[in-house]
Amino acid sequence: MNIHEMTALEIRRGITEKQFSAIDVVRAFFEKIYEKEPLVDGFLTLCREEALAKARQIDEKIKAGEPVGKLAGVPVAIKDNICTDGIRTTCASRMLQDFIPPYDATVVKKLKEADAIIIGKTNMDEFAMGSSTENSAFKKTKNPWDRKRVPGGSSGGSAAVVSAGMAALALGSDTGGSIRQPAAFCGVVGLKPTYGLVSRFGLIAFGSSLDQIGPQTNNIKDSALALEAIQGEDKRDSTSVRHPVTEDYMSTIEKGVKGMKIGVPAEFFDFGLDEEIAFSIKACMQKFKEMGAVAEDISLPITKEGLSAYYIISSAEASSNLGRFDGLRYGYRTENFNGFNQLTEKSRSEGFGEEVKRRIMLGTFVLSSGYYDAYYNRAQKLRARIREQFIKAFESYDILLSPASPVLPFKIGEKAGNPLEMYLSDIYTVNINLAGLPALSMPCGISRDGLPVGLQIIGPHYGEEKILKAAYALEQELRLTAMRPTL
Amino acid sequence: MKISVEDVRYIAKLAKLSITFEQAQKMVGEFEGILTHFESIDRLDLGDLRVELQDLNTGTVLRKDEISVFKDKEKLFLNAKSMRDSYIRVPKIIE
Amino acid sequence: MSFETVIGLEIHAELNTKSKLFCSCPAEFGAKPNGNTCPVCLGLPGTLPVLNEGAVVLAVKAGLILNCEIMTRSRMDRKNYFYPDLPKAYQTTQYDIPICRNGYVDIGTEELPRRIRLTRIHLEEDAGKLIHLEESDVSLIDYNRAGIPLIEIVTEPDLRSAEEAVAFLKALKSMLEYGEISDCRMERGSLRCDANISLRKAGQNTLNTRVELKNMNSFKELQKALESEEERQRELYSLGEESRIVQETRRWDSAKGKTVPMRSKEDAHDYRYFPEPDLGPVIISDAMIREIRESLPEMPADRKKRFRDLYGLKDKEIDIIVGDKALSEYYEALTARGTDPRAGANWILGSMLKLLKEKGLEAGQIPVPPEELHKLIRIIKEGKISLTAGQEVFSQMFDTGRSAGDIIKEKGLSQISDRMELGRIITGVLDDNPQSLSDYAAGKTQAAVFLMGQIMKATKGRANPQLAREILEEKLKKGLP
Repeated sequence: MNIHEMTALEIRRGITEKQFSAIDVVRAFFEKIYEKEPLVDGFLTLCREEALAKARQIDEKIKAGEPVGKLAGVPVAIKDNICTDGIRTTCASRMLQDFIPPYDATVVKKLKEADAIIIGKTNMDEFAMGSSTENSAFKKTKNPWDRKRVPGGSSGGSAAVVSAGMAALALGSDTGGSIRQPAAFCGVVGLKPTYGLVSRFGLIAFGSSLDQIGPQTNNIKDSALALEAIQGEDKRDSTSVRHPVTEDYMSTIEKGVKGMKIGVPAEFFDFGLDEEIAFSIKACMQKFKEMGAVAEDISLPITKEGLSAYYIISSAEASSNLGRFDGLRYGYRTENFNGFNQLTEKSRSEGFGEEVKRRIMLGTFVLSSGYYDAYYNRAQKLRARIREQFIKAFESYDILLSPASPVLPFKIGEKAGNPLEMYLSDIYTVNINLAGLPALSMPCGISRDGLPVGLQIIGPHYGEEKILKAAYALEQELRLTAMRPTL
Repeated sequence: MKISVEDVRYIAKLAKLSITFEQAQKMVGEFEGILTHFESIDRLDLGDLRVELQDLNTGTVLRKDEISVFKDKEKLFLNAKSMRDSYIRVPKIIE
Repeated sequence: MSFETVIGLEIHAELNTKSKLFCSCPAEFGAKPNGNTCPVCLGLPGTLPVLNEGAVVLAVKAGLILNCEIMTRSRMDRKNYFYPDLPKAYQTTQYDIPICRNGYVDIGTEELPRRIRLTRIHLEEDAGKLIHLEESDVSLIDYNRAGIPLIEIVTEPDLRSAEEAVAFLKALKSMLEYGEISDCRMERGSLRCDANISLRKAGQNTLNTRVELKNMNSFKELQKALESEEERQRELYSLGEESRIVQETRRWDSAKGKTVPMRSKEDAHDYRYFPEPDLGPVIISDAMIREIRESLPEMPADRKKRFRDLYGLKDKEIDIIVGDKALSEYYEALTARGTDPRAGANWILGSMLKLLKEKGLEAGQIPVPPEELHKLIRIIKEGKISLTAGQEVFSQMFDTGRSAGDIIKEKGLSQISDRMELGRIITGVLDDNPQSLSDYAAGKTQAAVFLMGQIMKATKGRANPQLAREILEEKLKKGLP
């Protein structure tokens, strides 16, 4: 088997058993990158030299008989809103086109400690705002399954490079579905952990109370492995978890779903859901039953209003988080200006794209005096209510199932002119961020047109173990790990 | 809900974004659509729920009052357009 | 028409923590520009704040000292606005629920006590510093101050005169110093004060339009600014033009000696406050409050009372000594070693303060250890040297750090207290001044004063004055030679 077709687990085993070296791995993946990247356009920055240097280090450790980390030799692509020390981090924005962070995000530090090999930074919707990666200031990433279609967003680049076999693992970020929806669109596994499980230190903030970093992989076990490596309390992030969590997902992942109680919210099938997706979800429900789980319909109302709450809260937080980009101390600066005001206004107006400006305006509006109570305050109350509803559902069920997207991957340019329509397509994912719950998206079928269909599995807070167990059982049953796009 | 071009321009000023009259007009349309959609939350009876989000995971997180120095200052200011000695140098700001 | 002045103060004090409010950079003064910075306090993208426990403790301490209610549960909020000294384009502060509410400070006297109420105390971070160069098209920014922990103390509009405002601020400063909460140095900016002032007809109980005053950098400037603004407003009332008093911010211009309108900043001051999503609630346990309360040091009011009871000094003297924490501690180090309280007070209020002023030092920097001053005072008491000589010795000790004993020996300043030796010298002086003798005999008592002078001259000031006088009188009575 070719190295670039191996799972992360297989790569690590191969290196530690000396079947091949870390340098071999890097070379194999870069060969693949040179071949496929011009077709996919998933990367913004490639780090070949750094990757080779790290590979050499790992090979020396192995030669010396020293222990190596959990992700030794695994080539990782990192979404370009996660800070990498000394490596350009742009958030796919003109505003940060030349920005070089002087520090590593905590997850990057953990990846390095686990001996993963960082091979590049991936394309995304600018500042993580979008659902198609079309909002990137630099390039449009193509869906490896159909290059005329979007890879989803905002972590479209990460999902695409994993799908195309150019990385064994990628990190994305998820504020309203940005890991899960592109994973569904690209036929890969995307996991958004419980809010606080993975440190946000070094993630360039969009919606502070919603953002989480998570892995995108080609199979479930790799996802579990990656989560083990990046999760955990971080003293530099005051919102990160402060109690012990499951450290080992691998030991229970094969235990199966016998006796598991699975709920499927009936309301989810109303929102203009594509019938092929509906069909696939129902088929999964059936498969779970056959494997010994109890799967039934439940009611989970006010999901629709959750969209409003999500856009109000995320835009409000974003409008504040993006205030620091003023062209003064770093980042893009306009050329002609007269005074601080103009410098700031013009730099921001020229440096930010349309969607970013729209969300900043929306956020500024909902926080402005006179409107705060009507919008922001109410949205937070609604959020608390949604959270309560989910917690109540999880009193009776171990996991919930839902689609990851109401539509199959759409064509590039198809939704670009209609922001409201784009927002509405987040219906299945945003409520999970509002409630801070974990959720995973995995391929569960192929449409008539040969496009991937994604299933979302939602768990209770810190219930990643249950999600992974169910996902693995389904993955083995559906035998979809061999499902790859032909680029 | 109805908002005016004036409202949009005021918001742009607060957010330090410069937008043309045409852009403001376009935004009025977009905003009204989005804000109308948001009104769906008005219908809900949310009562007097006092929202204390953050304590759901964490409680108070405090750091011991100890010093730690970020040594590589050159790297820290790598992205500054211009420095003078160790100050960040910027175009004149009038107070 | 009699008018009443209504003043409220808004005070910012930098807390005495080792590190900044949200990161571990040193919170010290005077470092190289941008030497105390890191990605967090620079607000680089991706960074997050972590709250300094020491700052929370000091804020609670301040609340206890100032008789506030401590909120066991408060919250941090974001205050959004754009300014070059604000790296994140928002200040993390406390808006909705501050850490302390409703306190008071008692000023005035026992006969005429005045209670000034406090509305709130809250924690917030400081901004960086902008430096404008005169003939240049650049400005410089130093972010050392960005992220330094501050408490903001807001008073109710209970103050009724500029003088009272200054008295209040002095009392507050003293309390914060004694509580070791802040070093409160207005000249360094670790204590800042803005004021709100309005006038109203005596007896009215609503408030009229108030004016905010900024840029007062010392107690004196605070007083002058308030008086000047008070005058300006009074003038407008007397002309019937009080409608021209608008809600605005004016800055004190010390060169012009009056308040001037500040160049209008952005009128859009909608701060869009919302809860800081990167931080959890600030929860103060009862145990923490108890622990802090039990460890509170002695406050100025209590120390004054104790001094009055123990040392019997005058009120004005106590005010001066206790008004300076380090000075009062020095004083007590003296009395603890047995120095007579009266003598100690004289030395502190006299030579000590004079020398400190001359050398531009503070009480915390007194170069003479209390033990050494104590020894000097004892030497003088024992009559080994005169008081005048002693003051000279003290000045030397201040400059050189040497002990009293060494200096006295070297300069041969020992007082002549030996009866025989002094007697001989006095006899000699009398021999040399026969005219004075006869004058004295003739009833001119003035001659004795002259003779004392001569004795001092002859002994180069080293004669023990009491003994010399005694011996002189004896000899004069005897009618000599």
